[in-house]
Amino acid sequence: MAYTPYDWQQTLRQKADYVEDRLRGGSPVVGLSCQAGALLLTTRRTQRKIYEIYDRLAFAGLGNPSDLETVRQLSVDFAHAEGFQRSPDDVSIQRVVGLAISPALKRSFSDPFRTPLVLRALFVQVGDQPNNDLFFALNYDGEFLLQHQHAVAAGTEFAEQQMRRILTERETKRKPKNALPLELEAALEKAIQVWAVGHWALRAGIFQSDERSER
Amino acid sequence: MSMKPMHEAFHGDFSRLLEHKGVSISAPRVGEEEGLPAAHGTTVIALKYEEGILNVADRRATSSTGILYDEAEKVLVLDEYTLIAIAGSYAPAAEAARFLKHSFKYFARSQLQEMSLEGKLAEVSKVLSQSIPSVLQGIGGFLPIVSVYDRNHKQGRIFFYDVLGARFESREYGSAGSGAEKIRGTFEYITRTRGPFHVLPLEEVLKDALLLLDIAASLDPATAGLGGVLPLGKTITAAGVADIPEEKIRALQRKLLSES
Repeated sequence: MAYTPYDWQQTLRQKADYVEDRLRGGSPVVGLSCQAGALLLTTRRTQRKIYEIYDRLAFAGLGNPSDLETVRQLSVDFAHAEGFQRSPDDVSIQRVVGLAISPALKRSFSDPFRTPLVLRALFVQVGDQPNNDLFFALNYDGEFLLQHQHAVAAGTEFAEQQMRRILTERETKRKPKNALPLELEAALEKAIQVWAVGHWALRAGIFQSDERSER
Repeated sequence: MSMKPMHEAFHGDFSRLLEHKGVSISAPRVGEEEGLPAAHGTTVIALKYEEGILNVADRRATSSTGILYDEAEKVLVLDEYTLIAIAGSYAPAAEAARFLKHSFKYFARSQLQEMSLEGKLAEVSKVLSQSIPSVLQGIGGFLPIVSVYDRNHKQGRIFFYDVLGARFESREYGSAGSGAEKIRGTFEYITRTRGPFHVLPLEEVLKDALLLLDIAASLDPATAGLGGVLPLGKTITAAGVADIPEEKIRALQRKLLSES
């Protein structure tokens, strides 16, 4: 039987559905710059979910633990080999995510004969000052998005939207207490709020149509 | 279509990772035969004291009979609880230290647990045995003194190696370098006549170390004495690695020079 471009597209769609289904139950991840550095927050049952990748690089995600582990190991390997071969200063989030991880994920996702990796993740690079912190939100298909000051990853687009809304709402009120970058305590408080909103949105969103597949 | 797994497991082994990535870790081939003079000759000293270990080194890097550099750092931090003092050919030694630093960090981050003390010491042996070919050619050999704070046994420990990678633990002191060979007996004399170093406060062993360094300098042209660029000192205790403040060394330098 011939394998047509239509089949290929259909396979990808099915793979995406498969992954999206499995991500829906995951605990959201919140990334937030604060004065002392950058905060990554999520909840867990047993598995550890937030990891150090390199001197100024960290990683957290939701999804299948062994898939998260694959991406984590790839990142750690790349970062350390590069850091040794060149210099620790040459290990950047842009190189780790953009050059090492994203193409590998994309390759794996678009190969019809491979099981897709189930994960959505946040990478953060702490800069010399909070304004220079960088967040990369990475999707299971290899797509990634650069963000400043804060970033989120959750099981559905709806949940991410709700979380982002809280993050940006607080900024525009311009209360001195909420001025960015926050102190660690305030950042922690805010991150928990954002996480709770994401968690709520996932529960509420079970009955909503999945907007991500329309992208 | 490739069914290769996305990720090769190295189980925290940094040299296997580098091999896989095609990164060479062999010591640079420098030597007088090639017309490139290798830097060598030095004195590094490790002494126990009541809280941990003190490392002191002169800062001279020599090349053949000349002085190459007078601000070399020969006591390097491998991690929070591990110091390495290097003597011998500087390029491969510095490269080995860089490798070890990355190797310990890589293990901790990839395996999500610290490398054990035994594991770290074996890693140093491995690095030394890798440089055997250049040692046999008469180039690129170096000798490290590894000082650690052993958190399980709550004590500082000193390890020294031979060029082939054999490891030995020292009870009270360790030293390496061309100058160290000339003063080896004095350590023994001090411990036999005055008693062990490990019961003494830092002030006292620091004074001993600087004096020993100055004596080594007077016998060995490749070692800088107290008269020139200040030696550097680091300590390692339950609280981790710390630099000895320059003022402290300077004050002792003045005192020792005026006494001599």
